[in-house]
Amino acid sequence: MRNIGQDNPAGQKPAGTSGRREKPEIPAEFKAESIEKLDQAALLRILGEPGSEPAAVFRKAIACKRLAVIGTKDSVPPLAALLGDDRVSDYARDALESIPDPSADVALREALPKLKGLLLIGVVNSIRRRRDPNAIEPLGELIRGEDAAVAGAAALAAGEISGPLAAKMLVRALGTTKEAVREGVAGGILLCADRMMAEDRKGALALLDLLSRSDIPNSARIPAMHLQVTAAASLKRPRVAPSQE
Amino acid sequence: MSNRNGLVTRRDFMKTAGAVAAAPLIVPSSVLGQRAGAVAPSDKVAIAGIGIGSRGMASVNTVLRYEDVRFVAICDLKRERRELVKKLVDERYETSDCMMYAYHEEVLARPDIDAVIIATPEFWHAPLSVQSAYAGKDVFCEKPCSMTIQESRALADALRRTGRIYQAGTQRRNGPNFVWAVEAARTGKLGKLQTVHANVGTYLMWPPIPSKDWLPAEPELRKEVFDWDRWLGPCPWRPYNSFYVTGGGGWTNWYDFHGGGILEWGSHTVDLCQWAADCDETHAIEYVPQGANGAPYQVHCTYPNGVKLVMRDGNNLGERLPNDGWLGMGSCSVRFEGDSGWVETGDGGKIAVSDDLRGEAPERLSDRLVLDNHWRDFIWCIKTRSQPRANADRACNSHITCHAAYIAFELGRKLTWDPAKEEFVNDAEANRMRSRAVRKPWAI
Repeated sequence: MRNIGQDNPAGQKPAGTSGRREKPEIPAEFKAESIEKLDQAALLRILGEPGSEPAAVFRKAIACKRLAVIGTKDSVPPLAALLGDDRVSDYARDALESIPDPSADVALREALPKLKGLLLIGVVNSIRRRRDPNAIEPLGELIRGEDAAVAGAAALAAGEISGPLAAKMLVRALGTTKEAVREGVAGGILLCADRMMAEDRKGALALLDLLSRSDIPNSARIPAMHLQVTAAASLKRPRVAPSQE
Repeated sequence: MSNRNGLVTRRDFMKTAGAVAAAPLIVPSSVLGQRAGAVAPSDKVAIAGIGIGSRGMASVNTVLRYEDVRFVAICDLKRERRELVKKLVDERYETSDCMMYAYHEEVLARPDIDAVIIATPEFWHAPLSVQSAYAGKDVFCEKPCSMTIQESRALADALRRTGRIYQAGTQRRNGPNFVWAVEAARTGKLGKLQTVHANVGTYLMWPPIPSKDWLPAEPELRKEVFDWDRWLGPCPWRPYNSFYVTGGGGWTNWYDFHGGGILEWGSHTVDLCQWAADCDETHAIEYVPQGANGAPYQVHCTYPNGVKLVMRDGNNLGERLPNDGWLGMGSCSVRFEGDSGWVETGDGGKIAVSDDLRGEAPERLSDRLVLDNHWRDFIWCIKTRSQPRANADRACNSHITCHAAYIAFELGRKLTWDPAKEEFVNDAEANRMRSRAVRKPWAI
């Protein structure tokens, strides 16, 4: 479908005109209404249909949108099967992120070793959204992996999940990770600290203190300093070093 | 932004510590730009624009008049837009210094840029605002500020963590007529506040529920001319059609790109209602939708303090709605009703009040300088690190109310919301609609 080199495709607004264009007609294969009315079983059959042309992607996209609202654990395997499809995976992820059943967490974790690059980052981001506490170890492996972008996303996901296990893993990673991943790991520690503050203030402040060092990227260091100040101000007491808390 | 020793510079520190200073800062007048023509270059706020279309141009034209601001860069996926804005800026400053970028990462990587204007299509607003904040930039972002409840919270959390200054493009918070009406509600001029009304636009232009259909596929443009993949950004893939990206909001009313009719004006008017009802720090707890997607509609809500909120179809195209006193004073109109008086106002500045307030209320307050007021508020807060009128927390909360109303309307049933837990009570389906997946590799 892509035609590289085109500057003025059909339908583009003519030069010199102003005001809104008339909306083009919607082709029958791109109308969502009939798909939205289907039950789960019928929607799952659509997920299994062959084809990667836009019309086929559309049917799966609408099916996934509907399954994001009504899908049960029965939807998880067919949705997981789409995580390797570049155009459909984000629709499948939308549904998997919202299905409350823990099988969705399992499916996302199981997809990690099967994917690479952007597709893998997408699944990592879905794990981040679901805050799966059982994903810390596999995320740790990705942080230590070769792909810096994946590693950075995994660090942020671990930070969002938070907790002592994530904190320990991220702090260890900060000391050993490649420079290209350092910003992501520092960002993960920042998220972790912020999420921990209500339940483990001492631990959170220790993480923020770590991020205040001069060798930490500014994207994490300056927010960490800000959070230290606000944490101290929120209790209306003079700020002391975390070691004295 | 650190010096060579890796230490945090004065500029960096001022951008963080000042945000929580207990005492007012004493700031020299020269820093505030109060002596026209005497602002040192180092004291000028350097701003870049990202996605400057017709709406963003209003802000660019505003800041180009300020002596204490320097517009230094334009970022847009469309080459013709980049060139147009650069030409305007260079003519104003009589230089050729305005830089052009296609991708926002290049803008955010510049340590000399203090703040960004984000005027892209709305599905980029929250992700870009969050990225900009972590990159150390203050943010002026057009409304609506978010696409979902989860995005609203993520936006507010990011601004809280980073300590950056955020101003939503809900400039009516600095509109004199709207401020008068809100003050009347908040100071007891109307008696005990009972009901607030928010004109959320008309179904004829922006139905509450956007379409999930797709437009037919067209051949994509060369990336140097327009990068469709990047324009889609956080939205899931669909084939290119030039209509989506045509000036004037071709992306509105499509589900992945637009938050729907309630948010279209509700981001302004519900925001004003929350302020009037002293509910800036919470959300409505009950939502009762009325009407259908292709007809005049309302959503009746209740705040924790008992004040009612009526989100109503604008009725500004001649449709007849129940006669409950609503005057319909133009676009983005609001009405506040107390047990002893009422006030209604809208764009254009006219103010209507109950009989007992006549003589006290001005008939009209000019809204000519609304955007200028809003921008001066933002610039002041950049310099003093105080919170502007339309800050991230307030934007987050008013948007959550709008998003919750949308969910109630799409499901077609009454919903109850817990503001503390930020979840619907006993409605799993509604809770599943609080967020959407973001296309790889983007995240928020």
